[in-house]
Amino acid sequence: MKTKDFEPKIMTFLCNWCSYAGADLAGVSRLQYPTNTRVIRVPCSGRIDPLFILKCLQDGYDGVLISGCHPGDCHYISGNYVARRRFAILKTALEFMGIEPGRVQFSWVSAGEGEKFSQVISKVTEAVKVLGPMRKLVKAANSLVG
Amino acid sequence: MKVAKIKVKDNIEKTVLSFLRETIDKKLFDAILIPMMVPAGDSYAWVLAQDKSLLDGAYYLPPIMSVQGAKALSSVTKGGKVNKRVAAIMRPCEIRAAIELSKLNQIELENIFLISMDCPGALPLKDWLKDPKRGVDVFKKVIQHFVDEEPKPDKSVRPACAICHRFSDSDAVDLHIGILGTEGEDILFIPHSTQAEAIFAELGLSLNENLSRWQKGVDEVLKQRKKKRAQVQEELKSTVVGFDKLLDTFSNCINCHICQSVCPICYCRQCYFDSDKVKHPPDDYLMRAESKGNISLLPDKILFHLGRMSHMALSCVGCGACEDACPMSIKVAQIFSLIADRSQGLFNYIAGKSIEEPLPMRVYEDDEFHEVESP
Repeated sequence: MKTKDFEPKIMTFLCNWCSYAGADLAGVSRLQYPTNTRVIRVPCSGRIDPLFILKCLQDGYDGVLISGCHPGDCHYISGNYVARRRFAILKTALEFMGIEPGRVQFSWVSAGEGEKFSQVISKVTEAVKVLGPMRKLVKAANSLVG
Repeated sequence: MKVAKIKVKDNIEKTVLSFLRETIDKKLFDAILIPMMVPAGDSYAWVLAQDKSLLDGAYYLPPIMSVQGAKALSSVTKGGKVNKRVAAIMRPCEIRAAIELSKLNQIELENIFLISMDCPGALPLKDWLKDPKRGVDVFKKVIQHFVDEEPKPDKSVRPACAICHRFSDSDAVDLHIGILGTEGEDILFIPHSTQAEAIFAELGLSLNENLSRWQKGVDEVLKQRKKKRAQVQEELKSTVVGFDKLLDTFSNCINCHICQSVCPICYCRQCYFDSDKVKHPPDDYLMRAESKGNISLLPDKILFHLGRMSHMALSCVGCGACEDACPMSIKVAQIFSLIADRSQGLFNYIAGKSIEEPLPMRVYEDDEFHEVESP
């Protein structure tokens, strides 16, 4: 599939306290951004198990974006710091699995950053577009799938 | 560091046991957690021995690792501390798993006296079961090669053991039993806690020997194991790293989840992968098959292994129980060694090395890992 025809599907996990409100602000401010994302609201970025991300990639999403409160702003004090450590581990694992690390992105968006939210979505969509469709844990037509 | 040297009488096994018997005699311990040969003579089971006469069938270093020792200790202390003094004698990897489990609140180490030993490795269960009697002799040779003044690697140990570079002393134990470099003539008892020193005083063991001979043996084995580890990991990278290769590696998995149930660190009461969460209505599977071309059944095999990797990598102690138990001989432990080295390296953390080091997921810094933040 050519890059320009390809519209990726991107799963977006937003924390309830900052990034989800940031997305809301982008909406009420009528900011434009690509429609490739599907949003799941989570209580905190620290709630996200690496498994959620792997499951998304396995089940046909081409990229995953996780967004939480800025460092120091976490509603639960340290959830986003823990999340950052977790994704550092996941990144090394992704390389090991042969999944391009660019498919999983992690950012901080506060409740006041509607503008930034729309930019993040644009950038992530562009980056995943360049990477192309995620291989669906399928090797070849006659091989086995996970 | 000062150590006590004991002359070997008959063999190392018997000498260590007579030391343990004496600790019970002098009421230094109320019970000893130790592997014991089962009546049929073809395996070893953990026992909490209180009667010293029962120690006759005990083996401080059995040829196989039937149950990971940390699991045995966890089964005793999961509900809280023991109120008697218990000595637990385990392989270094079992000690490390016990330390990890105590950080994960699955083991309470209070009143537990940890004893480790220089470990040559264990025999693969599959080889052992073919002929346990022969296995005993094979293991005797393994130990002989190990304690030799010029130690030689032995091909009969498990692959995970052959690449193990943490086979000897650690600060996490109370007492370490050193056998390396001694030609099987002596045993070194190396104390790491005041409690251990008190026990030595009680038993009238004097601390004076120097460690140079033992240290030389340790260094030599370490050199060999590190070389082997690097070599095996390099080969492994070319066969398992990457999308297709990883799928190939796990394609013969029969989804029995034995790697999860024997793993000392996989302690969750219910695993996500055993739950109803991964059971879907029939149409879901057809939909998946449609979008991917096909799906292999049982479903979620690969996801299970990837999930375990991401959950366990930080605490994996490299004991090899998963690989030993795998009925399909998938190189689970060797693959985990790759991923564990990488992720533990991110935090300069060594699973089970010390009780003071906090689990990396329990602490954080304001200023770190900015490279994962994007865009």
